[in-house]
Amino acid sequence: MPADVEHTSSPQQGAPFRKALDFFFTAADEASPDEQNPLAQPTTRLPEIVRALADRFGEAILGVEEYAGEQTVLVETQRIAEVCRFLKDEQGFRYLADAGGADRFTDEERFEVFYNLVSFEKKKRIRLKIRVDEAALTAPTVTGVYRAANWNEREVYDMLGIRFEGHPDMRRMFMPEDFEYYPQRKEFPQLGIPGSLPLPPRTPEGPLQRDPFPTAHEGPTPKSYEEPPSQIVREA
Amino acid sequence: MSAASGFRTAEAESVFRFWPRHNEAIYERLETKHVWLEQAQRNAANGADPLEHEMILNIGPQHPATHGVLRCVVKMDGETIDKSVLDIGYLHRGIEKLAEHKTYQEFMPYTDRMDYLSPYSNNVAWCLAVEKLAGIEAPERAQWLRMILCELARISSHLLWLGVGLMDAGAVSVFLWTFKGREDLYRIFDEVAGARFTVSHSRIGGLAADLTPEAFRLIRRFTDEFGKEIAGWEALLNRNRIWIDRNRNVGTLTREEAVEIGLTGPNLRASGEPYDIRRFEPYLFYGDVAFDVPTREEGDSLARYFVRLEEMKESLRIIRQCLERLPDGPIRADDAKRAYPSKDEVYYSMEGMIHDFLYTDAGIAPPKGAVCYQAIESPKGELGWYLQSDGTGNPWRAKVNAPSFTNLQGLEHMMEGALVADAVILIGSIDPVMGEADK
Repeated sequence: MPADVEHTSSPQQGAPFRKALDFFFTAADEASPDEQNPLAQPTTRLPEIVRALADRFGEAILGVEEYAGEQTVLVETQRIAEVCRFLKDEQGFRYLADAGGADRFTDEERFEVFYNLVSFEKKKRIRLKIRVDEAALTAPTVTGVYRAANWNEREVYDMLGIRFEGHPDMRRMFMPEDFEYYPQRKEFPQLGIPGSLPLPPRTPEGPLQRDPFPTAHEGPTPKSYEEPPSQIVREA
Repeated sequence: MSAASGFRTAEAESVFRFWPRHNEAIYERLETKHVWLEQAQRNAANGADPLEHEMILNIGPQHPATHGVLRCVVKMDGETIDKSVLDIGYLHRGIEKLAEHKTYQEFMPYTDRMDYLSPYSNNVAWCLAVEKLAGIEAPERAQWLRMILCELARISSHLLWLGVGLMDAGAVSVFLWTFKGREDLYRIFDEVAGARFTVSHSRIGGLAADLTPEAFRLIRRFTDEFGKEIAGWEALLNRNRIWIDRNRNVGTLTREEAVEIGLTGPNLRASGEPYDIRRFEPYLFYGDVAFDVPTREEGDSLARYFVRLEEMKESLRIIRQCLERLPDGPIRADDAKRAYPSKDEVYYSMEGMIHDFLYTDAGIAPPKGAVCYQAIESPKGELGWYLQSDGTGNPWRAKVNAPSFTNLQGLEHMMEGALVADAVILIGSIDPVMGEADK
């Protein structure tokens, strides 16, 4: 008897076969590195470069994470520029494709900054990552190695408040300097903080707008004009 | 005004009436001081030189030639731009913050509003990134269709760049002709997605719906006829004295410079670096189709024009191959935990409806600690999403690598030393979209 026929008929005689429905939509299963990802690219497989980094910097390479065929090299914060210089000059990673930060919302080493480097010749892409403590809130800049990191580091400063030491132009990227918060941090509310960002008045002589979302915080949006009295005459 | 309205100023008497600290920082960066006209006139009346201050010119943020809300503050020496500072963020909507509060599928329509000139490639970039994070594979037909629509989006974006770029140079009629082409594309997208502009058609794990026979007919007609239009523009522009004079040797970047300041997309390729994500990391089926990556060596605005024009032709070539090789089959992954079930299932079965409800409510949950970066070659360049998952249905962190943002950094460098009349040409030639650059 074939195995599948036995399987469907045996559990309860006569009762229709029911497949158990399982809904695990917020399952917190940990990411495993050896997964065969359908979108994994050969460009992110770089064992020899990781080995070269470990040989050269030893203790400064704190670890390598892997997911979806991509390796993330965790580097000691103070030596990131040195590691970038090595990758650029000796491994051919001439192009900085992206850099950005994230809030891990942990007690220690709360923030992280990542760098996405590309080597055209080797057809490789590597991601470096550093961790930044909330108390220090500074990281060394890599603008000396990659000029392209300039705006990306400004964006990290704007969004998370991490200052990059030695950066030639440490201004905010998107928000005005008059804004005193760092919006990408997890504790910053999605609707903003009322009064934190002055916006132009709605009429030439009117007051500045204090809140970009007044409906969410303090009732209806103020009108920029005065409504004329109603023309509708109610019939008695 | 600022003191009276209750907002603190940098100093009690700031020369700026609005956002004093911000404007002071910009002028500090320019190594100059802001002077109101009244003060300059007073200086003149007192016998001082009225021209003792450098000329500072604010181009934008409300200027039609800045293609959106780009503000360029330039310090000028005669007609030459001595130093330039770009002030961006006037369209900052905090799209990365919004992503953290949405499920993966819910966020997809927001990507339409980033590079709003080629919404389809943004949809695909987001969906591919989420698919990589969650390990989902879209069916083959969906991937071929995505390629067709991405290339149509590329043509659409380049058409707008051409029309607007020429309008910046003074030729208004070409704008109308390119919009004729865009109108055909809008019709196609309307037929495909039900929306002309913000398509929101790609879904995680596939597409919202298959294309209708009418859509295929429109796409075929477009690919057959559009080559002639490009030939017409080439006949008009390739030897046009005004167009060439305005563009040649304007904003020249060598290959090393372009790589160093991180230009991307056609701007990088116009300087001679053949970096194209479709070749570098072939996503979808770009590894299986034959196409060339146009490059130029000159690195000036004219080279960027030629590269984009060639790219449109290559896009047509890709679309033709996709139409030939398009297989039959489903257009969404057949796994209700990872992609929306089909509407037939939703309307006629209880499980389908439950799956649809749960997918909308909670969506997919990639494993905790999963991190990935997926890039596509959007019309503007490398458009990538860096995603981090915390094991729930919302991304913990979504960081977009926006090509317009990257290219604008190069513009700041290119504008220094250029003529102020060329600033407008330069903005047009690097093709920024502020919705994307400002995030």
